[in-house]
Amino acid sequence: MNICGYYPESINEGEGLRAALFISGCRHHCKGCFSPATWNFHYGEPFTPEREQEIIRDIAGNPLLSGVSILGGDPFFSAAEVSAFLDRLREAAGAISAWIYSGYTFEELTRDAKSPEYGLLSRCQVLVDGRYVDELRDPSLLYRGSSNQRLIDIPASLAQHGIVEWRPTFSF
Amino acid sequence: MAMMNPVYTSRQDMLDEVITLGEEIVASSNLEVLRENANLNGESFSGKMSKFGSEYAKWYANHFVMPKPLVQAIQDNIVYVHDLDQYAIGTTNCIFIPFDKLLREGFNTGNGSVRPPNSIMTAMALVAIIFQSQQNAQYGGVSANKLDHDLAPYVTKSFVKYFRKGLDYFEEGDSAADYGLITMARSDLQVQYPRAFKYAVKETESETLQAAESLIHNLNTMSSRAGGQIPFTSINYGTCTSIEGQLVISSLLAATMRGLGSGETPIFPIQIFKCKQGVNQQPGEPNYELFLKAAECSAKRLYPNFANLDAPLNLMYYDPANPDTEFATMGCRTRVLSDRFGRNHLSGKGNLSFNTLNLVKLGLEHGIALGLRQTADEQGFYRELEHYMDIALDGLLHRFRIQSSQKAKASDFMMREGVWEGGEHLNPEDTVGELLKHGSLSIGFIGLAECMKAMYGKHHGEDTDVYRKAYNLIAFMRDYCDRQSERHNLNITLFATPAEGLSGKFTKRDRADYGEIPGVVDREYYTNSFHIPVYYHISAAKKIELEAPFHGLCNAGAISYIELNGNARSNPAAFLRIIQYALSQQVSYFSINHPIDRCSGCGYEGIIGASCPSCNASEQDVHIRRLRRVTGYLTGDFQTRFNAAKQAEVRDRLKHST
Repeated sequence: MNICGYYPESINEGEGLRAALFISGCRHHCKGCFSPATWNFHYGEPFTPEREQEIIRDIAGNPLLSGVSILGGDPFFSAAEVSAFLDRLREAAGAISAWIYSGYTFEELTRDAKSPEYGLLSRCQVLVDGRYVDELRDPSLLYRGSSNQRLIDIPASLAQHGIVEWRPTFSF
Repeated sequence: MAMMNPVYTSRQDMLDEVITLGEEIVASSNLEVLRENANLNGESFSGKMSKFGSEYAKWYANHFVMPKPLVQAIQDNIVYVHDLDQYAIGTTNCIFIPFDKLLREGFNTGNGSVRPPNSIMTAMALVAIIFQSQQNAQYGGVSANKLDHDLAPYVTKSFVKYFRKGLDYFEEGDSAADYGLITMARSDLQVQYPRAFKYAVKETESETLQAAESLIHNLNTMSSRAGGQIPFTSINYGTCTSIEGQLVISSLLAATMRGLGSGETPIFPIQIFKCKQGVNQQPGEPNYELFLKAAECSAKRLYPNFANLDAPLNLMYYDPANPDTEFATMGCRTRVLSDRFGRNHLSGKGNLSFNTLNLVKLGLEHGIALGLRQTADEQGFYRELEHYMDIALDGLLHRFRIQSSQKAKASDFMMREGVWEGGEHLNPEDTVGELLKHGSLSIGFIGLAECMKAMYGKHHGEDTDVYRKAYNLIAFMRDYCDRQSERHNLNITLFATPAEGLSGKFTKRDRADYGEIPGVVDREYYTNSFHIPVYYHISAAKKIELEAPFHGLCNAGAISYIELNGNARSNPAAFLRIIQYALSQQVSYFSINHPIDRCSGCGYEGIIGASCPSCNASEQDVHIRRLRRVTGYLTGDFQTRFNAAKQAEVRDRLKHST
């Protein structure tokens, strides 16, 4: 697995200050995608154990973080590896909240409870779902690009077998 | 004729200098001179006129007034005298204004007298007038250290007026009767006269908001400072817990968020929200909602900044019964709380002047960066540091003698009205020295980071040993100030200098003398005070942790900033967490910088790249106004108002998120 970006602190990919990790590779190929270079699974740098350790140390040592955000590409094309990363992260750093971005919808990701995609989804707290639709682009949206995309509270949605939208803890 | 300072010898050279000064101003040919201060349009007529005055006044002070060693130290690029144009005439720097007293007693601007206001609308209008009148008596910032407490009584006055009117309108009672002390907290009156009370609340709320809007508009439009600038105003608030005080705070915040005429971010006043555990820091505390609102406002408008009343150096003077003992700041960061003559409160005094040391040059002379030695010559460094602190201090004391010998009538409004505490008891011909001793004389510093680089090859963000040395250096400077306070029986304090014009001046000269030295003199500016360089990769938490201990040392004031990239206004959780973390680390004064761009085509505010995300207009076609903070102040547009050094610093700012 390659990663195509890592920001130790960001305010743009979810609530609070979050570490943002971008996983290379995407097969959705949305029209108007802001970073088509990241579709390539070989783009960026290899996610070596050393790099992973560095990032885990970073996150564990930063008292200001509200959690981690995983983006891409689309991390669900590397679901098993990303799940393993999250497990190792939590082993080292405790209960870290995870936001995850995908071109797949919540419904698509929950079709098969035994799939690696479901496994990854169930490890995260908030899903920003759906393909980017250029015609629905709206720069005023919170943490997402087009209005079809949703912010989904994953644990609540899984528990209720239906979509529960995420609501900000603080709103101005 | 006055004695010419012997540092200069040739009379022809002197004449050439004076002529060049004038020519450059007339032709607007020296942008660095014109943009020395980002809030003054140096290319306008009034800007040029004031430049003529100030440039010549500096020249005069250099040649005829200042002690020779000080002039030499300036020539050597090690000491900088701030507001040099005011040196010879003995003006003082900044002040906290006792608005409570001036509003309660009324005042005279010199051209006419003003009665105490009977409504919040009038009171806020008078606040602007007082700021303006005081600004002309001094050169630095003018500050309200507890505006919520100061204005609450006038909210009450408005409320009483509306309540009595309401009793009449709704025929609920006798408008002239005695109801005891009528306030917005009187729930008994609310029960007994519900309609009149509700009417009075609504009207008072609306009047207070309007008053706040007009205050903020006034403070952004009155170009009364030296003809071409608006007064450098600061307002501190956040701790008044009466309903009236809370209304003042929420109205100021609401008006600030609403913005100026076309919704743009106000440049002044600098706003400071005073944070105090038990008052506004946790859910359930009386002003917690106002703290959240302040964070919201700061995410939208860059202000307010956050003052930490719980930091040990501030808490030691805090008396919950006296809001005048609550730490507040002035201008970009000035702090004057303690006074060896007992006035351990803020209003009625201020800073008198400050001189700043170029730590980088001392580091270059005694460090390893020039390749002349293997290890830093610390002994030599400290010997020379103390030598130049002596010179800087002598300069302050010399200037203090000039300031002290001024007559009360020279700072007419300030003294006659008792804006400076006790001034009202002086006759116009009396000198002001006995009163000025309550103010502070400060030694500042710049470029700790580059100094460490020059000395040891790493700055204090890069290495724990170097960090300890950096801390010890600033502790040494503080200790020096404390010792000199005792010796001279004056308030001598250490200042984390907010270098605006200075940030590039020292650097330019050092670069000419030493060439480009990697990590030391390879940028256009030196890092402000003890800050970790803006270009250095470091987490927000780490930056806060490293800078916090320096706040305790800099008793004349300091600020720490975190740079955020991204639309801060859409992520309040991050904003709040960072602020509260800084407060928990004992940072005394804190703020978050984030970019605010404004599309003049559609009015969209947020992050704008080459084209507006809202209306798609390209930067080529519409002006994108890019608002940034420089050394504590906002300026209209950093690309047209900042000097070159500060433009470079803004470009280099490494964001803690991308």
